Amino acid sequence: MMSVGQPAWEVVTVADRAEYWLESHWYFAVAYMILAVLAVAAMVVALGMGLIYGERKIAAHFQCRMGPMRVGYHGILQSIADTIKLLLKEDIVPERADKVLHLVGPFLTLVVTILILGVLPYSPLLQLADVSLGVLYLTALSGLSVLGLLLGGWSSNNKWSLLGGMRAAAQVISYEITATLALLVVTMFAGTLTLSGIVQSQAQGWWVWRAHGVGLLSMGLFMIAATAEINRTPFDIPEGESELTGGFHTEYSGLRFAFFFLAEFINMFVVAGITVTLFLGGWMPLRIGNWETFNNLMGLIPPSLWFLGKVVVMVFVLMWFRWTFPRMRVDQLMRLEWKFLLPIGFINLFAAAVIILCKWYFFPV
Amino acid sequence: MTEFQQIERKQITFGGKPVPVAVVHPLDRASKAPSVLKGLVRGMRLTLGYFLRPWKVVTRQYPENRQTLRFPQRYRAMLTMIHDSQGFHRCTACKLCEKACPNGSIRVITQKGLLEGVNKLDQYIWRMDSCLLCNACVQACPFGALKMTHSFENAVYDRRLLVYNLNRYAGPPAKVLAAEPDTAKRRQMMEPRGRFDGPLPLNEGLKPVLAKTQESPVRETSA
Ligand code: SF4
Ligand code: SF4
Repeated sequence: MMSVGQPAWEVVTVADRAEYWLESHWYFAVAYMILAVLAVAAMVVALGMGLIYGERKIAAHFQCRMGPMRVGYHGILQSIADTIKLLLKEDIVPERADKVLHLVGPFLTLVVTILILGVLPYSPLLQLADVSLGVLYLTALSGLSVLGLLLGGWSSNNKWSLLGGMRAAAQVISYEITATLALLVVTMFAGTLTLSGIVQSQAQGWWVWRAHGVGLLSMGLFMIAATAEINRTPFDIPEGESELTGGFHTEYSGLRFAFFFLAEFINMFVVAGITVTLFLGGWMPLRIGNWETFNNLMGLIPPSLWFLGKVVVMVFVLMWFRWTFPRMRVDQLMRLEWKFLLPIGFINLFAAAVIILCKWYFFPV
Repeated sequence: MTEFQQIERKQITFGGKPVPVAVVHPLDRASKAPSVLKGLVRGMRLTLGYFLRPWKVVTRQYPENRQTLRFPQRYRAMLTMIHDSQGFHRCTACKLCEKACPNGSIRVITQKGLLEGVNKLDQYIWRMDSCLLCNACVQACPFGALKMTHSFENAVYDRRLLVYNLNRYAGPPAKVLAAEPDTAKRRQMMEPRGRFDGPLPLNEGLKPVLAKTQESPVRETSA
């Protein structure tokens, strides 16, 4: 039951619109999809550059430094300069490397990231495709992303790379469980697997606080697990420079390295986006109980801005983690997952089930 | 039990016999979680504090702020022999600094004094290329004849230019010169020395020819 005065959000995805045109003018549909693909490509590049610049600046200020200052005003063009440099660099492939897999590794990593970008709901009108098994799709893809790292590490024919790739695989497989358990909680509350459906189920309040602590806990679990899955500090052992020179990308240079690098940074955006979609209401404006004026005022801000704002905050938090916490050891990493997060995740899931059965959560839909 | 021990081994008596048992404390480590979390939060507060106070940044934009550079007082970049307002130094050529230097970067060359008949400083050679700026020479000097200055822009294209002669004249130290009232006699006791006087081992003793632009590869430090 929806309260009075609440705007009903109608979700129209790009795929929906293409399908609509497919019936009458198929070439419109094709053009539309090509446009969408180009937009995604542009978004990947822009996101990559923006995030790299942002990370460098923010990291610098976390450490009493200034970061890039030379290229452009306060180093604003630094990312462009770096991109050109990476494009022009020599592409070195080790002689004994597996040539095909060496190429596939970085590609796969980037492709997986882009595939996730395609299903994230940016606003009711801006989502490439609303996959009916959205959450499952996310889980599957994040499991696939490690394949790229593993391939890269394996094919380089270098012991550091191999160790890095293996570590990445072990880490992602372990933390996948916690991440999935955390996602399950939200799916249970929302009663749907589609991402836009989950966003719409939060019209009355975001799951992070609506679910009586269970939501907050699962968001915490998901943040930890997701940080581990995208190999960011404090879980960056696959590329721990002090132990493995460069980890899985030791033997990569030039454009191939750029792909790994780009995927790593866009993954940060992806993780922030998933967290926001599942726990922080996605593009939903903030609503508090029956403060009608406040709710209407919040409703004036367009949904895409809400999404962007929340994602920026989450990305900042991820960077904050990275530049504060020290790297964990491999055994500590495994212990954290199997001995702490996993039991907590299961208890949390159970508690969520009890809460749902007893209908204890706020503002029942 | 040590801090990280989860399994405690001990012996109990069972039916009159000692039996080894292992007591497991699974929650022992978990009980430390709050303090760990507190530590993490404290770290995050610290870094956020830095982030929110951009004026605390320690980075200096070097070439731009060249005119307003400030150094910590004890910053060491260049060994200098102190010359007073009349151009006299205080070195008695005792060679203590030469002995104190761990790298052998200093060579004090003496000459027999023409007028006084004692050893006096002829050339004070300091090899910047092998100096590690440890300050031992400054501390060793009993007459306070040396000091470290802040002039750090010492890069040159020819490493022979890193072998300096620190004294501006050969001859007796300031104390002896000041005691001599006759200006002409005093001048006679002093023999000028340039920055690059002295042995230049890399070029068979030939002095480097300075290009016009290279006239002063180091910023002159005030005496
Ligand atoms: S600073 Fe140290 S290394 Fe340099 S000349 Fe003096 S004693 Fe030798
Ligand atoms: S600089 Fe000082 S220690 Fe060195 S020779 Fe001269 S007086 Fe002696």
